[in-house]
Amino acid sequence: MTSEVREKKIKTNGICLNVAEKGDDGRPLVLLLHGFPETWFSWRHQIDFLSSHGYHVVAPDLRGYADSDSPPNHESYTVSHLVADVIGLLDHYGTAQAFVAGHDWGAIIGWTLCLFRPDRVRGFVSLSVPYSPRDPNLKPSDLFKSFGDGLYITQFQEPGRAEAAFAKYDCSTVMKKFLLTTRSDFWVAPPDTEIIDDLEVPSTLPDWITEEEIQVYADKFQKSGFTGALNYYRAMDLNWEILAPWQGYKIVVPTKFIAGDKDIGNEGANGTIKYAKGEMFKSVVPNLEVVVIEDGHHFIQQEKSERVSEEILSFFNKLRTTE
Amino acid sequence: MRRLVTETTPPRKQHMEHRKVRGNGIDIHVAIQGPSDGPVVLLLHGFPTLWYSWRHQIPGLAALGYRAVAPDLRGYGDSDAPPEVSSYTCFHIVGDLIAVISALTEDKVFVVGHDWGALIAWYLCLFRPDKVKALVNLSVPFSFGPKDPNVKPLDGLRKFYGDDFYMCRFQEVGEIEAEISEVGVERVVRRVLTYRSPRPLILPKDKSFWGPKDETIPLPSWLTEEDVAYYVSKFQEKGYTGPVNFYRNFDRNNELLGPWVGCKIQVPTKFVIGDQDLVYHFPGAKEYIQGPKFKEDVPLLEEPVIMEGVAHFINQEKPQEILQIIVDFISKF
Repeated sequence: MTSEVREKKIKTNGICLNVAEKGDDGRPLVLLLHGFPETWFSWRHQIDFLSSHGYHVVAPDLRGYADSDSPPNHESYTVSHLVADVIGLLDHYGTAQAFVAGHDWGAIIGWTLCLFRPDRVRGFVSLSVPYSPRDPNLKPSDLFKSFGDGLYITQFQEPGRAEAAFAKYDCSTVMKKFLLTTRSDFWVAPPDTEIIDDLEVPSTLPDWITEEEIQVYADKFQKSGFTGALNYYRAMDLNWEILAPWQGYKIVVPTKFIAGDKDIGNEGANGTIKYAKGEMFKSVVPNLEVVVIEDGHHFIQQEKSERVSEEILSFFNKLRTTE
Repeated sequence: MRRLVTETTPPRKQHMEHRKVRGNGIDIHVAIQGPSDGPVVLLLHGFPTLWYSWRHQIPGLAALGYRAVAPDLRGYGDSDAPPEVSSYTCFHIVGDLIAVISALTEDKVFVVGHDWGALIAWYLCLFRPDKVKALVNLSVPFSFGPKDPNVKPLDGLRKFYGDDFYMCRFQEVGEIEAEISEVGVERVVRRVLTYRSPRPLILPKDKSFWGPKDETIPLPSWLTEEDVAYYVSKFQEKGYTGPVNFYRNFDRNNELLGPWVGCKIQVPTKFVIGDQDLVYHFPGAKEYIQGPKFKEDVPLLEEPVIMEGVAHFINQEKPQEILQIIVDFISKF
């Protein structure tokens, strides 16, 4: 299925990104941005589907991942760096305006691209992570403190800590702990427990992923390690500072938000889905559609691949007809 | 319709309001004058001046029905000065200005910038074109905008001008501050404001730039002892660390401006520079300002105005002319 996917290295923003590509050059470009802890491979179903429906699909391994460059310092992983990487890809392909879809950290990059360079985005699909107004008085690390040391984001801050915790397991097990999670809380581990120890591996694989596919990820992380990926979290306070000029900004790019109703952070009164369906989200993203997929968890474009593919396609197709 | 500008009484006697706006984690001092429903004109000073450098334009704008708003930028005067160098990126400063604008109006504003204020104004137009109706920029053209984020601008400056180029001398934390302390703020203020040489600003480490201590520096007709005393009192109180921290983020700014390389300014713009301004004599500046590239980068740019015989502190040296240019331009929108 992925045998016709071409992989190549593209120079962008002073680094080299490994990019998976499928579909005709002349077709409208769709940029797919993966999340943590993944690679372009998470989009394998959408790459095939969208390219067979008339799009030129480009899916990079993001900075810090797999076969792309991985600068050592977390200060090189701000949204400024990540968005500039993406713009460099668009420039490489000569694309003035791209369709963009992002999941997890890829969604954060997509939202920020809509803030920084709305002129480069025709339409944006966000999976799992909505856009929230920035709190001018509360930086991320202070917000996280309220969840305690058990919060995965807090545990990811200290250089080396999560890397050491993950290293207790082989990479295939680490991948299963993440990819197969069915937890809907905010991923807070009990006291004195590392999140990786708290995440469980189910006894059987669900039908949407195979051992071989999990091994694809495991092989990549075995080679690259997890520091590049974890550096995104370590730059969150820097991102908050960088985003000060967009205080109060309303996203003007047409956007679709898709999430599973059992995604991380959907438990309780302040869950993500509740926010996504609410007035505050709509007030900061006025041109918005929201799709909630029943029984969907975090790695939604793999778990519910057909549905997600169709939702993305119909959205981009609609934007093309309403020019 | 051309609005006539007349001589106004000195700024201190006008009904200018001084306010602190809380935004982006700090208190920002602003001088405001003009009707509260008047279109906002945000006036952004440069280095090393203050809101006060707009003292001649503020009452004139107010008299014509505009609401003139002149902040002390972060690190300056009566605004807060966070201690860390890393708190002075262009994102911090534009963030401050968005907070000031949002506190005053939901509408787009006019922006007038000089020196660092002009550079910040370019960034404001790149980041939030939805907030700017029109721009008048003085002294600093857009050629100072985002370039290859993996090339450090300071390396180029150091190579071209040497280690004593003022921007290079500003890099080491505490070094220029100590020199200014030794030379004295009064002498520094007088020497800088009266500097008219178009030659690159080199500060030899022997402090010879500041001149002999016993030699008074006479003031030009456009600068009074009172003006100097105001600047001196504020810079004695605050010091120069905040202002110089802007320069200490040159390389970091460029690294973070990657997403905007090649991005055009989409705001109607007027640009003015004096032909004795040292910025006009930076390598490539004249060619950029007079050539096609400026208009390529800023499609809505009006023909740049080059003022003969005028040096860097243009809004203080030619206050009525600058006020007229501002008013003529913004009255079109």
